[in-house]
Amino acid sequence: MLRLTTVLAALVAAGMAFSIRPASAEDGVIRIGMTLRMIVENGLKYGQLTAGELNALNDSGGIDGHKVQVILLDDECTAQKGVANTNRFIEQDKVHLIIGSICSSVTIPMVDITARAQVPQISPTSTARPVTEKGSAWIFRTAASERYFAAVHAKYLAENAGKKVAYMYTTDAAGTSFVTQYQQFMKDTYQVDPVFSAQQQETDLDFRSNLLKIKSLNPDVLALAGQSDAIARIVTQALEVGIPRKVARVSASAASNAPVPETAGDAVIGLIFSAAFVCTDPRPEAQAFVKLVQDKYQVRCPDHDWAQSYETAQIVKEALKRAGPKLKLTDASLAEDRTTIRDAFASIQDYQGVVPGKISFCADPTPQCRDGNRTPILVQYTKGGKDYEMKQLATVTFDPDFGLKK
Amino acid sequence: MTTGQRAAAPVRGAVSLLRAAAAHPAYGWGTAFVALLGLPLLVSNGYQQYLLDLIMINIVLAVGLNIVKGFAGQVNVGHLAIAAIGAYTSAVLSTKFGMTFWFALPLATLSAGIVGAVVGVPSFRLEGAYLALATLGLAESVRIFIAVTDYLGASIGYGDIPPPIIAGWRLDSYAAYYYVVMPIAVAGTYIAFSILHSDIGRAFKAIREDTLAAAAAGIAVRKYKLLAFLISALYAGCAGSLAAHMAPGFIHPDDFNLTRMITVILMVVAGGLGHVWGGVIGAALITLIAEWTRSYYQYEFIIFGLIVVLTMMYMPRGIGGYIDRRLATRRFVAQRRGKTAANMT
Repeated sequence: MLRLTTVLAALVAAGMAFSIRPASAEDGVIRIGMTLRMIVENGLKYGQLTAGELNALNDSGGIDGHKVQVILLDDECTAQKGVANTNRFIEQDKVHLIIGSICSSVTIPMVDITARAQVPQISPTSTARPVTEKGSAWIFRTAASERYFAAVHAKYLAENAGKKVAYMYTTDAAGTSFVTQYQQFMKDTYQVDPVFSAQQQETDLDFRSNLLKIKSLNPDVLALAGQSDAIARIVTQALEVGIPRKVARVSASAASNAPVPETAGDAVIGLIFSAAFVCTDPRPEAQAFVKLVQDKYQVRCPDHDWAQSYETAQIVKEALKRAGPKLKLTDASLAEDRTTIRDAFASIQDYQGVVPGKISFCADPTPQCRDGNRTPILVQYTKGGKDYEMKQLATVTFDPDFGLKK
Repeated sequence: MTTGQRAAAPVRGAVSLLRAAAAHPAYGWGTAFVALLGLPLLVSNGYQQYLLDLIMINIVLAVGLNIVKGFAGQVNVGHLAIAAIGAYTSAVLSTKFGMTFWFALPLATLSAGIVGAVVGVPSFRLEGAYLALATLGLAESVRIFIAVTDYLGASIGYGDIPPPIIAGWRLDSYAAYYYVVMPIAVAGTYIAFSILHSDIGRAFKAIREDTLAAAAAGIAVRKYKLLAFLISALYAGCAGSLAAHMAPGFIHPDDFNLTRMITVILMVVAGGLGHVWGGVIGAALITLIAEWTRSYYQYEFIIFGLIVVLTMMYMPRGIGGYIDRRLATRRFVAQRRGKTAANMT
């Protein structure tokens, strides 16, 4: 028994020693921790784009002569791994700021940790409301909040298609958030309940039975939501079961991801979605970004997650440039440097980058100050398949208070 | 007796007293407990402290799974679903009903135990792959139920779960929380050992080896199968509750998905099925490997899989089995040497 218990203690100690590496807190270096969903193709590329943009700072002399070190980890879009990565960044790698995560369900618990440790955090794509509604003074996001996204469709379609809405969505956060917000807006604004609402698993392949019920109810709008592959399946099967094209189809921002039009083919024609960016945006800065992604990553039409990842990197660069002269970058000044970077983020106003909306932050730890992008756009597919096309229907800039409880 | 001999007598007495104390099982556990109390002193930052807490929670989870799978031979793929029930029960009790951690933990453990006993019922008629399928159904049903239930935070997750509080002191740092999870992990391991060496443990092993033979020998197979599921579920519920209250106090249905269940099974298999140490060593090892390989996320699954395959190739009974065999061999050799020496004299 004695031997066995000694073995236990030794094993745990050895294991810890195995995992222990000295904190890479080299003086004079700006350390950035990035935790993203890296095991899917798109996630990997978004991460590479953001990291590449930040690492490129070193080629141009860094920030006031200080090198930038990017530590990129995968969180697989699971809260537990996101929490582990955040703890590692803060405690072991001693980063000055954290970028992440992609999924709201990972970003939300991260916000509590960064608030407590007082480390600035910026999320590129998490849209869920609690991200900025927890009252943390350390969180910023470049993604448009879901309170803007859902309202823009709901208002446009209620005015242009009708108020009889049937909902078909998956159980993941992307699906439920979109539908909850849409239904809430319809209820609050027009006092209208859904004509039908059904939820299926994100991995389900067959949505036909629910779609047949929807067909029999003859709705004005079919609102479908989930991750991109689920959206592609639903939109294809809606046409297969005979829901006519005159029924307006609307989806969450995941519909902007290339697999949707590529998989669904021409079934995607007419599908409306809200996003933060469309690759057909004619502005020179938008087209320069599209060309950069085409040349570097061989992606013909970067979706809004590409744009938001790029935008996040540009915002981080801007904040670091503003904070640069004040940074001391020693182990002792870590807390002070983190505060300086946080304040630099908060000072960014009316930043115009590749997304159509201007990004503004301010000092208060409120959604009004920390939801940087308030401009969703409404986009419609006009052609499906590999060479899909789309057009921009509307651009709406919301008031910072929009959608918040009074 | 000379003066020197008289002076040495108390020392010899003290030594023999120490030897007698060392022979007592409590000595080993006491030593391990004291060693583990000081373990946080070896870690240099909060991340490593977080890993220690995670290891302790995973030990409770893996030791519990080892009871039903390793001891009693019943396949249970729903172990993590039961942990989810423990986690969410504890979370709801503490956030919606204002219970403290100290009440929520036992109640969550108990609720999970009850569910575990119900899950054990199919094991009366099902075995092997069929039982695995039945428990797999439970695992997915629980996860999906949570993911679509707004009251439980649905797919956004359930947050703001408070940490334990002792006399106004919030144990919300990983260092402080270690002193909650570590004693529970040690107690859980001790109880598992006690079960293994009791009549219940022997009945479990008899059922594992041959259900019919066990029944013929007078063992109430149904009762003991149910007991195995119940005890195992108590461990899972406790681990779930501990995970829920650890900072930042956030749980999500995807934390209890099948991929993670496979990781927990690996802890038990790599550690050694049927060996209590298997759960302990496996939990520590797999948790650390999973963390260590995260820096190499492109190759994470390859490295992870390779380590497990090599363990299985060279230690087919797992690391726990390897240690047990080595110790048994050493005891056997020592006994033979003792007998040979006695014969020679």
